[in-house]
Amino acid sequence: MNSTEVKNNYLSVFSDWEKTALTKDPFWIRETREKALSYFEKSGFPSSKDEAWKYTDLDAFYKIPFALTGEGQTKAAVSAELKFLGFDTSKANLMVFVNGHLSKSLSSFEDSHGIKVRSLIESLSNGPLKRYFIEILPFENRPFVSLNYAYFTDGLFLHVPEGKQLEKPVHLVYLSDNSGKPTQSHLRNLILMEEGSRATVVEHYWGNNLNPYFTNVVTKVSLDKDASLDHTKIQQESELATHIGVLAARQKENSRLAARVFSFGGGLGRSEVETVLAEKRAEVALDGLTLSTGKQHLDIRTFVDHLSPACKSAQAFKAVADKSGTAVFDGQVLVRENAQKTDASQSNKNLELSKDAKIYSKPQLTIYADDVKCSHGSATGQLDEEAIFYFQSRGISREEARRTLVYAFAEEMVGKIQNDYVKGPVGLMVQRWMEEEIGKKS
Amino acid sequence: MLEIKNLQARVEDKEILRGVDLTVKAGEVHAIMGPNGSGKSTLAHVLAGREGYEITGGQVLFEGKDLLALKPEDRARAGIFLAFQYPVEIAGVNNTYFLKAALNAVRKSKGEEELDAMDFLELVKAKLKPLKMDESMLQRSVNEGFSGGEKKKNEVLQMAVLEPKLAILDETDSGLDIDALKVVADGVNALKRKDRGFLLVTHYQRLLDYIVPDYVHVLAQGRIVKSGGKELAKELEQKGYGWIPGAEKKEAAV
Repeated sequence: MNSTEVKNNYLSVFSDWEKTALTKDPFWIRETREKALSYFEKSGFPSSKDEAWKYTDLDAFYKIPFALTGEGQTKAAVSAELKFLGFDTSKANLMVFVNGHLSKSLSSFEDSHGIKVRSLIESLSNGPLKRYFIEILPFENRPFVSLNYAYFTDGLFLHVPEGKQLEKPVHLVYLSDNSGKPTQSHLRNLILMEEGSRATVVEHYWGNNLNPYFTNVVTKVSLDKDASLDHTKIQQESELATHIGVLAARQKENSRLAARVFSFGGGLGRSEVETVLAEKRAEVALDGLTLSTGKQHLDIRTFVDHLSPACKSAQAFKAVADKSGTAVFDGQVLVRENAQKTDASQSNKNLELSKDAKIYSKPQLTIYADDVKCSHGSATGQLDEEAIFYFQSRGISREEARRTLVYAFAEEMVGKIQNDYVKGPVGLMVQRWMEEEIGKKS
Repeated sequence: MLEIKNLQARVEDKEILRGVDLTVKAGEVHAIMGPNGSGKSTLAHVLAGREGYEITGGQVLFEGKDLLALKPEDRARAGIFLAFQYPVEIAGVNNTYFLKAALNAVRKSKGEEELDAMDFLELVKAKLKPLKMDESMLQRSVNEGFSGGEKKKNEVLQMAVLEPKLAILDETDSGLDIDALKVVADGVNALKRKDRGFLLVTHYQRLLDYIVPDYVHVLAQGRIVKSGGKELAKELEQKGYGWIPGAEKKEAAV
């Protein structure tokens, strides 16, 4: 199929899908779905002529007929596998989604002290959430976001009231069960942080499926005054997966967002993170590490909108590409006229390990205010042969030398993780990647 | 222990070594001196297995085996150690980790048990003292931000930990003030043993006041043009290299 055929397919299956899947939807949701679909009808899928998709080739994605399915049956080995990954899930609110639907039997989470940790679709049916739903991320001109609006099934709803602190992190695990055919899921998370509240959320996409699948996710975050969110996304999809995800935040005065993206999996993976620093002294730290090998194509796209004065943004992304892997960093910072005393920095460092590996780096700063402190830098290089020889001259094999040097490069991003719940497991994932991809210890 | 026979090597189109003959026996200290560009450092690098040199003739035997057929790491495991003129800075790799990985790689190749963190720390601490090195050096990234003296001490520390059979020191005195030179030389002297050979590559005689060689060789235009005892070094210090047949042309050009 080509992109037009795939588009028509999405348009034609909607009415049948809506009838079977969405009996619980309130009217305004149904209205939104239809509106989003009509936008999608107008826009179609992005093409490589589209600046935002310049480096992302979707041809392989169009070729696979992903089906919309209901709840999946997944193996109950989830908790054992999470343990193998290094997570102590007894210390978290664990929510497991299979094919876009919450699996209550695999999950273990609860409300506490007025903090709501819930299924989004259940919360929409009885809460006045319409405003948040549309406001933070409009779907116009965002084909995958409009598809998500049209077809989303479930996700997290987290609401932390004024002054409250969520003690256990929320660990969201998204799986696809598709032993029969290629499937897709459209997930939506909504995180509302009221004044002075705090929380930690982990979005974890994970699979080793033998059939292709497609995950399309939109996470929205609203941070009120003095609120603070620590968010980690771990993209560990199967290498046959297509993963497209957006995290969109809006921050009020003196709020703080730390958002990290670890991209290890997926054949095609694209993670976008964007925030609007809407009121003074809001702060955001965006970090990430991409490890791309085989034929993987992994994109990171960021957008920080400095709308108000005295806000601070710091971005630090690193990528390693081996074999025929591709990694992209496309980062934008916009400092608007009113955003005096802005402090914005952006750094992107990359390591190419083979001649077929490709890394594209495009850091961009656009500044309309005059009293600001902004910096950006980008560097892509190879491993230092002199350093490898130094290891070898001490009896350490070339493979182990390379592995140690790549790990040393990547480890900095693990070191930036503040919370222990994810730090250990992510460190382990990075270490295992080095062991599997850069040669065995000798 | 080490037999170099008619060794010839080049970098791209440039011939650097044009037939080097040298034999080092266990327990001996040999110094290789020579003017700039004579091929001293190339010889050290070729012995350690640095890429980028093409061996065009001759052979090198180490304990009777063909050294040039081995990968650099296998040479190190066999007992060859090169102390670098410019030790490499490795950001993000902890000095202890590096030393331990090196020692365990060498031990493993000999069929010895790998050391755990505790045993290793005990061993390395004992080796730090004679070099007047602070324990905090172990926690820093390998050579990163080290002073010239600290880097050279770190090389000697690695040597002390790995206990090679043949140590090759490439311009170890360069960039050292006299106090640091004494400490480094004392460290090297403490490692002298009956079953260990040393090859000191140096431009200046100064190092040889502190590490006294048994033999001194002059390398010029890719060949050893003169050999003698330690008194040869003194003579070179006084007269330069110009008086030695085979070394005069190069000296005139410098």
